[in-house]
Amino acid sequence: MLTTEIIIQTIVSGILMGCIYALVAVGLCLIWGLMEIVNFAHGDYLMMAMFTSFWAYTLAGIDPLLSLPLCLALLFAIGWFTYYIIIKKLLRATFLAQILATFGLGVFVRYLAQYMWSPDFRTIKEPLLAGNIGIGGIFVGTPQLVASIICVVAFVFLYVLMNKTELGFAILATSEDREAASLMGIDSHKMFALGWGVGCGCLGVAGAMMANFFYIFPEVGFNFGLIAYVAVALGGFGSVPGSFLAGIIIGVVEFLSGLIIAPAFKYAFVFLIYLLVVFIKPMGLFGRY
Amino acid sequence: MACLEVRGLVKDFGGLRANDHIDLRVDEGEIVGLIGPNGAGKTTLFNCIAGFYPPSAGAVQFKGEEITGLPSNETCLRGIARTFQLVRVFKDLTVLDNVMIGAFNRTQSAAEARRKAMEVLDFCGLMSKKGMLAGGLTIADKKRLEVAKAFATGPSLLMLDEAMAGLNQTETAEAVDLVKKIRKSGVTVLLVEHVMEVVMPISNRVVVLDYGRKIAEDTPEKVINNEEVIKAYLGDKYHASRRAH
Amino acid sequence: MKNKNWVWLIIGAILVLLFPVFFTLPFPRHLMIMIFLYATMGLAWNLIGGYAGQISLGHAIFFGTGAYTSTLMLMKLGITPWLGMLVGGLLSMGIAFVIGYPCFKLAGHYFAIATIAIGEIAMVLMINWDWAGSAVGLTLPILEEGLWNFEFHTTKAPYYYIAFGIMVFALFVTYGVDRSKLGFYFKAIKGDLEGARSLGINTHRYKFYALALSAFLTSICGSFYAQYVLFIDPDSTFPLLLSIILCLVATLGGVGTILGPVIGAAILIPISEFTRIYLGGGGKGTDLILYGFLIMIISIYQPFGVIGIAKRLRKRESR
Repeated sequence: MLTTEIIIQTIVSGILMGCIYALVAVGLCLIWGLMEIVNFAHGDYLMMAMFTSFWAYTLAGIDPLLSLPLCLALLFAIGWFTYYIIIKKLLRATFLAQILATFGLGVFVRYLAQYMWSPDFRTIKEPLLAGNIGIGGIFVGTPQLVASIICVVAFVFLYVLMNKTELGFAILATSEDREAASLMGIDSHKMFALGWGVGCGCLGVAGAMMANFFYIFPEVGFNFGLIAYVAVALGGFGSVPGSFLAGIIIGVVEFLSGLIIAPAFKYAFVFLIYLLVVFIKPMGLFGRY
Repeated sequence: MACLEVRGLVKDFGGLRANDHIDLRVDEGEIVGLIGPNGAGKTTLFNCIAGFYPPSAGAVQFKGEEITGLPSNETCLRGIARTFQLVRVFKDLTVLDNVMIGAFNRTQSAAEARRKAMEVLDFCGLMSKKGMLAGGLTIADKKRLEVAKAFATGPSLLMLDEAMAGLNQTETAEAVDLVKKIRKSGVTVLLVEHVMEVVMPISNRVVVLDYGRKIAEDTPEKVINNEEVIKAYLGDKYHASRRAH
Repeated sequence: MKNKNWVWLIIGAILVLLFPVFFTLPFPRHLMIMIFLYATMGLAWNLIGGYAGQISLGHAIFFGTGAYTSTLMLMKLGITPWLGMLVGGLLSMGIAFVIGYPCFKLAGHYFAIATIAIGEIAMVLMINWDWAGSAVGLTLPILEEGLWNFEFHTTKAPYYYIAFGIMVFALFVTYGVDRSKLGFYFKAIKGDLEGARSLGINTHRYKFYALALSAFLTSICGSFYAQYVLFIDPDSTFPLLLSIILCLVATLGGVGTILGPVIGAAILIPISEFTRIYLGGGGKGTDLILYGFLIMIISIYQPFGVIGIAKRLRKRESR
């Protein structure tokens, strides 16, 4: 029965999930906007964040909410090192080589995880954040609500960092014109590494929050990665707020189409929306390029 | 006989009017120079005529046929070839291949395209470099190649956008010779140029743009002494001081 | 091509033709069949991705279309797979038209992701299409062995020669394209799109030609695969990983060259088959770890492929 209540409930759930997609997309968008490399391993790095949370809980009893800083720091470091070890070599490579390289990285990470931790689905049995909250007749899961709030906070923090601080300006300058920026004493490699660190840091936050309520398994990242690319393209490559908004839109579309049409087709609808937007407005919603 | 006729052409970019009701006429066999200060709208006009983007208003007629708003591949098929200010050579292909691509405009056969391309290479003085990758050429040769591949498409009208910019004395003289040769072969030429020593001697007529409008159109000698033109290039102060003498 | 090269090529062809005579065990033949198959798909991808420069990451859709079309026509209508193969190819060209028309307006990353999106949509549709077997897949009926039925049970040799024939066909197509107006125009599109348009090239139309040819060849491979393995499902015929591998085969060998994809397949397929055998057992996808690693190494260190390296070596020799 499709009552208004159920529809509103679905939309709200979609928005909450969308906030998480949004943060993941923002991370991807940062990296793309900074150096025009689309990171096809993005989803798999999210999976690493989720597993970090899981192992912290299973081996050391640390609740996912509390291991958030750990995930953030670890993914930041992983992103930083990924830049120096792999991405730096791709800066002058062809578009195709970049795609293939990061795709290969993703496959490598994904199946290494599967080898080490088996394909089994894991969950966190008793997280601090549990249960439901009722707000005006709508019931939302507590972990989802907190997760989306934290993602929004992270996004705001990021936005302020990029637009209002010197560091942010340095990063933006590097993305506009590497050589000019280096003439002004900005080490472009450090900026790029920082961008990767922050971009993956977003994954740390999103992953830690998702561990509270989502299944954790090696292939979980793949779909999130795909959704992130769609979100970035939908929002317009280069526009961080655009990616965030697009992430939320996709969350809503996914949940609504799952409800109204069929759960099996919800991802197909997400991709369909992407195609429609991109055919009608080729630069995405807010694209600069 | 009018080869190209532009009537009331307007091109707006958002709030900026780059071309303001421009009328232009180029007769067959002429060399017409298009000059004006930076930002006057010369390349914009080229782009509207060639079909890089459509004009916002106005009409373009080529050899009696309405071609307003046709995309660049369509205008090229009909006989309008153009070069770009920032040369668009195919840098990973050889010089010969570059010109062959132009030559394919008039033929389906690779053998025929090769034959025509060799002709053009000889005509343009690039024969000795035919096996080199276009990306490895000097600026002067790149510009020459840019002209060659446009010429290979078999045009009736060739539009050159600052084909001489950045060349030294010798190179410029060679480029001028090439343009003369092209006209002699029966192709009408419309060229945008900043280098006055080039435009004035070879043009039958010169059209001057400033801030998107046509401010003068005459023979080179008359245009040089045109007050509006001098003001446009050198500003009011110079013009005023000149009058004072 | 110089005479010397022709001689090598003919020697190579003779060796390939005699291979099944000397290697009678199934595995070596299977290996070669896979090499031929992936070489063909690499050649197909090369037309649109290597020559015309449009990076498609959704080519699996054509493979799957070919596989499913010939299979469904066989199972539901009893029509010989050869005809099914042809119909599949034409259908794939139609799909290429439908995809291309809106997609070719897109540039670079947008185009690539659009192809991924289309591929994923196709995957979801196939998983949920009950008439076509949905996620369970289709098991082809075991028919009497023979050329008409396109099934051979006692020996792989016919499959070997058919696959080789398909690859040779793809090579001829590529060679023909390379020397013709099509090839020149594709390269122009890749080199500078606006520059190409200003020389009279209808870029939309030629992009479509590239994609259509590419789709047809890939589709044929799909039909062959169905007849060879006698089982198809969405996961083996439409996945993103397959699309990526096609790119990789062409890239490893050398994009935009005629023999590149063949070399790429000759290197990549044995590696992947051996790692699958020695590491992949147990369904843990261990071979994919090496796969991912290889993809990374190849794209970082060999951007111009093996042929690019060979050219550089030859240049150094001639100094």
